[in-house]
Amino acid sequence: MTAKPALFRWRAVGPLLLVLGVVVALWVLFADRILRESLEEAGSAIVGARVEIRYLDLDLAEGRLTVRGLTVASPHEALENVLEADELAAEIGVLPLLEKKIVIDRLAANGLRFGTARSTDGRLPPRPGDTTSLLGEAQQWGRRLEIPALELAAGVLGVGGVDPSQLATVRDAQALRARADSSRRAWETTLAGLAVPATVDSASAMVRRLQGARLTDVQLLAQARRTVDQVKRTTDRLAALERDVKSGLRALESGAAGLDAARQRDFARARELVRLPSFDPLRIGAALFAPAAARRFEQALYYAAVARRYMPPGLKPRAQPGPRRVRRSGLDVRFPRERGYPGFFLRTAELSFTLARDSGPPAAYAGRLTGLTSDPDVYGQPTVFAATAPAVRAGALLDHVGNRLRDSIGAALADVRLPALRLPGLPLALDPGQGGVSFGFALARDSIRAQWGVHSEAIRWTRDSAAGPGSDVERLAERVLTGVKRLDLATEVSGTIARPRLTVTSNLDRALADGLRAALGDEVAAAERKLRSEVDRLVDEQTAPLRAQMASLTSAAGPLLSQPQAQLARVQQDLEQQLRRITGGIRLP
Amino acid sequence: MLVIKLIQSIVKALHSEGTPAQVAAGLALGSILGLTPLLSLHNAVVFALILLLNVSFPGAMLGWALLLPLGFALDPVFDAVGRRLLLDSPALVPLWTALDNMPVAPLTNFNNTVVLGSLACTLAFFLPLFFGSRWGVARYRTTVAERLRRSALYKAVTASKLYNLYRLVHPEG
Repeated sequence: MTAKPALFRWRAVGPLLLVLGVVVALWVLFADRILRESLEEAGSAIVGARVEIRYLDLDLAEGRLTVRGLTVASPHEALENVLEADELAAEIGVLPLLEKKIVIDRLAANGLRFGTARSTDGRLPPRPGDTTSLLGEAQQWGRRLEIPALELAAGVLGVGGVDPSQLATVRDAQALRARADSSRRAWETTLAGLAVPATVDSASAMVRRLQGARLTDVQLLAQARRTVDQVKRTTDRLAALERDVKSGLRALESGAAGLDAARQRDFARARELVRLPSFDPLRIGAALFAPAAARRFEQALYYAAVARRYMPPGLKPRAQPGPRRVRRSGLDVRFPRERGYPGFFLRTAELSFTLARDSGPPAAYAGRLTGLTSDPDVYGQPTVFAATAPAVRAGALLDHVGNRLRDSIGAALADVRLPALRLPGLPLALDPGQGGVSFGFALARDSIRAQWGVHSEAIRWTRDSAAGPGSDVERLAERVLTGVKRLDLATEVSGTIARPRLTVTSNLDRALADGLRAALGDEVAAAERKLRSEVDRLVDEQTAPLRAQMASLTSAAGPLLSQPQAQLARVQQDLEQQLRRITGGIRLP
Repeated sequence: MLVIKLIQSIVKALHSEGTPAQVAAGLALGSILGLTPLLSLHNAVVFALILLLNVSFPGAMLGWALLLPLGFALDPVFDAVGRRLLLDSPALVPLWTALDNMPVAPLTNFNNTVVLGSLACTLAFFLPLFFGSRWGVARYRTTVAERLRRSALYKAVTASKLYNLYRLVHPEG
């Protein structure tokens, strides 16, 4: 008989302790590196662009984390950083780490710089479900903003190039004509299918047979009743067809009525196609500055969307892609609790940052951030940022508590170095130099209100040396613009995320509109008149036959249905009269 | 090379000194290492159990090696099971919430759909795997192994000088 083996292998305790010792030693050696790589990966996933850390030191015993050389690449610009930080020193809670939660009581960030250059592209390739997908959504939103092109005629103003196939009215009118034709055919086919003449003939024959009939001709009376039923059924179908015809005619009429509005749009479109210069300052302003403004608003919307994704309201379980590994990543699901630690919480951060000036060293500023958390409903208060200094006012509020979803950011900076702006459609770049800039962005659920303004008293103009001399009108525009030495730009977006409206006003667009009107006003007015008559001619070629067709259809529809209706009514009446005569008004079973 | 190693560990496990129950227990514990993502806290506990409990270590390594490819192949199933448990079972939400907000438990990555799904499936098959493999090892030893030992080839190989040399290097092989 063999002895039962012992449950424990006590001699394995030594090797196990050895393995444990090796694990601890590896942790001591590589913890900083592992944490640095994890933070880089998590940060990159959140920002949607590369996040790099040069040095990281974690002191668990003291609850201190030091990061040096933090670089956050821009998800929008290839060779630009959103942020660089010389040093971040954080006091972290050790107990929350056991719950895999990061609670930072105090963070001191020194040497923050924004919009710095980088040597490699820090953008990440788009991944479905990742933050990078929000980038696509923000770009899609940007495309919803109507940004007209700056139209400056490249030679003699002409209107000969209007292509009828590009006019919506022509296409709509052709479609309506085809629809009117097919509707007419369908109604005629349905009417033929009802076989009204056959029904009327059969009923008339029955009336004749009933004229000599008596009450005892039970079979004949039953047949007569069936004939009455058939007449009634045909009448009902005819009534249904009549309703169909009326609604079809109404739809066609409303389509035809819409052609007038389409004609106005076509005229505006044709104006763009033949590139007639516009004197509308709003349109010129939008053409000059809307792309730059849209890019800024698009970026703000992207960061708001990121905040909403990573700081969602409520306490429901939250799933996000799991860590990258050889095995499938799956989803990591978090279960926030009201009286627990948030997954990430930064109680207070003291930020010291610098902004470039036109001359001299960069100016230093300080700001304070409180309550940045991944679980706003656990913390119960909004995230607030404020920075005030001479010539600087900046603030942000992210309020996702109690499902409120209000995000706003505002900043007004005076006496800072402003970035150059390229003017689309012209070979000119505008360098505002030293000046003031203001930016505001507020998103409440899906209502958006944003503004971007720039003011400079001494702008400089640079012409693209590679560009050709351009047309007379282009040269005129260049002359007008380069004569202006001051910039007052105000852009605004309002409406909803689905339907944003962008307005741009500036002293440059007014100057350009006045200059163009003075030089080209009469010529453009004449060209506009010619263009309008050309559009009218092309549109009328299609709408006139349509209107005739509609009139014919409306006038034909009446007799088409009224005649068979009258015939059916008459034979039904005759049949019922005969039946009443024979039965004496008594309803027989 | 990998296949030879695998065959070697199969032979080692089946012919080791351990009882069929020890081999089966090792195999079942090793299956947890193979079927669930390796770098998880629960696997440290499983590894400690393999060392501390008197189970067959070659059996555990065999279980790990055999079930590792299966783990990869079954990841979509584990993911689906994990999603079902974590996201589609409202009755379990209080449990997950409590676990997610208590020290150490979140470090096990229980809140990952693949980790939880694979662990749940492995634990569900733990006892069937243990009893099944215990029966299999016992059957093998009474039938196939015995016949193998009596075969002329086995006798010839074990009598050879080369084998004796091998036993010098691997005395318990």
